[in-house]
Amino acid sequence: MAAVELAPAQIQVFQVLTIVLFAPLVSGGIAHLEARLQGRRGPRILQPYYDLTKLFRKETLVPEDAGWVFMAAPIVAFTCYMIVPLLIPVLTAFPLPLGYMGDILGGAFILTLAGFAVALAAAETGGPYAQLGSSRAMTFGALIEPSILFVTFTVALVTTTDLPYFEAAAVRSSFSEWILPAHLLAALAFFLVVLNDTGRIPVETHASTLEFGMIDEARTLEHSGPLFALLKWGSAMKQFILYVLLVNVFIAPWGLAGSRDLGAVLVAIPILLAKAFGVGAVFTVIDNSFSKLRLFKLTEFMASAFLLAILAVLVLYLAGG
Amino acid sequence: MAWDLIVILTVPFAVSVVCWWAPVAVGRALTLASGVLVFVLALLLVPAHTTTALSGWLRVDALSVVFLVAVAFLYGAGAVFAIGYIRPAGDPASAARYNRRFFAGLNLFAWSMAMAPIVNGLALLWIAIEVTTVVSALLVAIDDTDGATEAAWKYVLIASMGLGIALLATIVMYYAGSTVFGGAYDLFYPKLLGAAGHFPPEVVRLSFVLAVLGYGTKMGLVPVHTWLPDAHSEAPTPISALLSGSLLVVSFYAILRFYQVTVRAVGPTFPRTVLLVFGVMSLLLAALYLARQRDLKRLFAYSSVEHMGILAIGMSFSAPIAIVGVLLHVLAHAAAKGTAFFGAGSVVLKFGTKDMTRIRGGIGALPWSGPMLVMAVLGLSAMPPFGIFRSEFLFVSGGLADPSDAIAAVLVVGVTLAMLGLSWFASQTMLTPSANGTVGGEASAWIVASMVIGLVALTILGVHPPGELSDLLRRAAGELGVAR
Amino acid sequence: MAVAPPVPSTFSGGAEAIALVVLLTEFAMLRAPLSRSQIRLYAFQSFAVSALAVFVAATQHIPELYILAAFSFTLKVVLVPGIVLRLLRDARVDLAGSNRLGVATMILIAIGISAFGFFVVGGLPVHSHSLPTAALGLAMAVVLVAFLLVILRSDVVSQAVGFFSLENGVSVASLVVASRLPLIVEVAFLFDLLVAVVVFGVLMRVHHGRAQTLSTEVLDRLKG
Repeated sequence: MAAVELAPAQIQVFQVLTIVLFAPLVSGGIAHLEARLQGRRGPRILQPYYDLTKLFRKETLVPEDAGWVFMAAPIVAFTCYMIVPLLIPVLTAFPLPLGYMGDILGGAFILTLAGFAVALAAAETGGPYAQLGSSRAMTFGALIEPSILFVTFTVALVTTTDLPYFEAAAVRSSFSEWILPAHLLAALAFFLVVLNDTGRIPVETHASTLEFGMIDEARTLEHSGPLFALLKWGSAMKQFILYVLLVNVFIAPWGLAGSRDLGAVLVAIPILLAKAFGVGAVFTVIDNSFSKLRLFKLTEFMASAFLLAILAVLVLYLAGG
Repeated sequence: MAWDLIVILTVPFAVSVVCWWAPVAVGRALTLASGVLVFVLALLLVPAHTTTALSGWLRVDALSVVFLVAVAFLYGAGAVFAIGYIRPAGDPASAARYNRRFFAGLNLFAWSMAMAPIVNGLALLWIAIEVTTVVSALLVAIDDTDGATEAAWKYVLIASMGLGIALLATIVMYYAGSTVFGGAYDLFYPKLLGAAGHFPPEVVRLSFVLAVLGYGTKMGLVPVHTWLPDAHSEAPTPISALLSGSLLVVSFYAILRFYQVTVRAVGPTFPRTVLLVFGVMSLLLAALYLARQRDLKRLFAYSSVEHMGILAIGMSFSAPIAIVGVLLHVLAHAAAKGTAFFGAGSVVLKFGTKDMTRIRGGIGALPWSGPMLVMAVLGLSAMPPFGIFRSEFLFVSGGLADPSDAIAAVLVVGVTLAMLGLSWFASQTMLTPSANGTVGGEASAWIVASMVIGLVALTILGVHPPGELSDLLRRAAGELGVAR
Repeated sequence: MAVAPPVPSTFSGGAEAIALVVLLTEFAMLRAPLSRSQIRLYAFQSFAVSALAVFVAATQHIPELYILAAFSFTLKVVLVPGIVLRLLRDARVDLAGSNRLGVATMILIAIGISAFGFFVVGGLPVHSHSLPTAALGLAMAVVLVAFLLVILRSDVVSQAVGFFSLENGVSVASLVVASRLPLIVEVAFLFDLLVAVVVFGVLMRVHHGRAQTLSTEVLDRLKG
């Protein structure tokens, strides 16, 4: 069979579709694994799809005080989460044309825009828990920003650009690059950032809704029906995107398609899913091993992430490694 | 005379071991004998030229002998004082145990302090000073009071951190040497001094600053002196005398060894500036604190900080006469501070307290040690005819010859401030007649004898230092200086 | 476009990574709430230092360093933590004393002084055969953060562990610039450390005996 070459635009569509379609699968897989580790049978791996279908059929209830932001926010968030896969190495090892549209910082901005929209909607509702959640989310989001910045700086210092593709290429080039202390530190710092942004232990218990500790979960309390479905889907996509960034740029940038061949691209999809499950498994183990930090101790967590990121830059600056 | 060094290496350590097991009287006698022996041997080394022993592991040159004499003198005089002073209370068994531990510790402490000037090389120097820290920390805590425990903990913590920095300084200096000597060599002095001209300058500068910070902690330089007033006031008085009179200057000796190498590597300006900064801080801070002391021994401890500051400032002057003054000051301060602490011990035994506001009429109560204490305090304040007057005179004349003679002025101001503080003490406690007449009488003849020894030495140093001693000081100053 | 910095070899990358672990454990000690955790962190840090020594010995062909690594392992990973853990058991104290500042503040200050240490050392023309020069900066940072640990924590065990970790930092520095220091000198240094540890242990027990606590809050009698 002759190799079918895909146009770059088609590959970009593939990337977006991969994220959109397979994000709930990753969520479901992680939930199932977590339950197994706790000794329960756990939900079906495809459960999130059933949840989304159910939610789309339900009615939408809107609080009295909410305005148009409440309705628009889930759509804005979902759109943002569809744009980001265009910028990061999801399936291919080589940069795609639209990938030059934004670097890591650009991707981070778009993700933050999504989070901002959702928080704004939650603040608008007037419900106490939603407002609590949105204010906490904004605060801790601001506290984790410096770490993201310094991770970006590390990438920029290593590859002289902060496009994620080049960092991935650099890491793939030799083992000594992988074991570079600055790279390890940056990867660890980014790991902590992902932990924070996907709302897992020790930042937040995603599995239950303890009001006193909720951050991300609280923002979506007031939404219902298709809007809620979009929010859930969106947050699953955000999780998948962050995992993709973590594995495909820092930890394990292997297994990406090297050419535009259709077969290569299709093979890249299960490899990506396997890697994402791997990362998810690590997070699950952490979930079951540690307890949630009390809210005011979260600053320690942020400081540690910041420490790792700054050390990465300092070590790099000091010694070229 | 290599056997000289071997005897100093072995005898005090052996005596220490014996004191731990032997009956108290035997221990005391041996301590006294050992102290006198080491002092005599140190004096015998004064006219000699550079001596080595044990295939180069031990080495004394003129600089080492100066400091060895300071240590040995206080070892001998301190032994005399301790025999009269140490009379622990309580049942005979625990008193005997205290005695044995104390004298074993005293000998071990003096042994370790004598080691530092006679070992060859920066590495062994560090090891010797580390041993002094460890032994003296245990001795500070030996009295088992709340204050002693607190002082001992602070002392061992801060001094050990300082010595950690000093170890880093030694390693950095080792690196500087390895650029010339290659990978593996020992840090013996002649080798280092010979090749110092080729060491990389920035590395040597870093090493010197670390050495001043690290060994300066043990020397009592501000701002890392915070353990000093506590440790010197809470330790048993003979140990305080040794700490103030000998240990501080042994740490100064370590700094001087680094100074020797640094001066040959980067020139005199940098090390002098560093020493000047620390010296001025120590002098001024100590002089200010001196005036507000209520505790007798703490007063003398701050006076030690002040004198260490004076030593550092003296080293920063460029005239050779000032360096001679520094070395003379080391000896004179040992004699004066020792006598002062011996007198303080006598006062404490008589009045039962260290609080100066409760001590009155010292001269009346202590017919011998009282006046001698006043003379020691005058000596510390640089009054003629005592040795410190002569050494400070040498500094100031050397400092005035410098282009920036403002420092000499600062020195004089600081010394005057300290003198005011000390004189206030002397007049309040010693010269003011007491309301209720305390029965006069000395606690022990040994104490009086030790003070006599101290004052005689101080006077000799002030009035007419023996020719060989002056010659030694000049040679040592020559070793420190550099051809400019 | 600027030129990317040269990529160091796998050896130096690995060595730096181990030195980095030493620094990170130092930071972790700032946070550790239990005295036991502090000691265990110290044991782990000493293990990393011994591993570094073995690393240098293997790649630079200095057989004496194997002996040194063995000594330092026995002393710093086994003996010292053992002594202090025994004291903790006797004292029946669990929590380390409270920090004088919050943990996040301490970490930020520690970052600041580590950066200072890096830059002080980075300016020196130090070319080492044994380890990458960045390791010297890391060692300096460990020393400085150890000082912070001693100043900002208020119980004797944390302060003692701070001092021990300072010695670890100096050991790393000596591996970088003085790896061929004669073995007898290195062993003498280690022996000295052992004696210092014994004295620390004695004084800790005396302090606990008098004050019935391991906190240094009560050590404020002597002032002025």
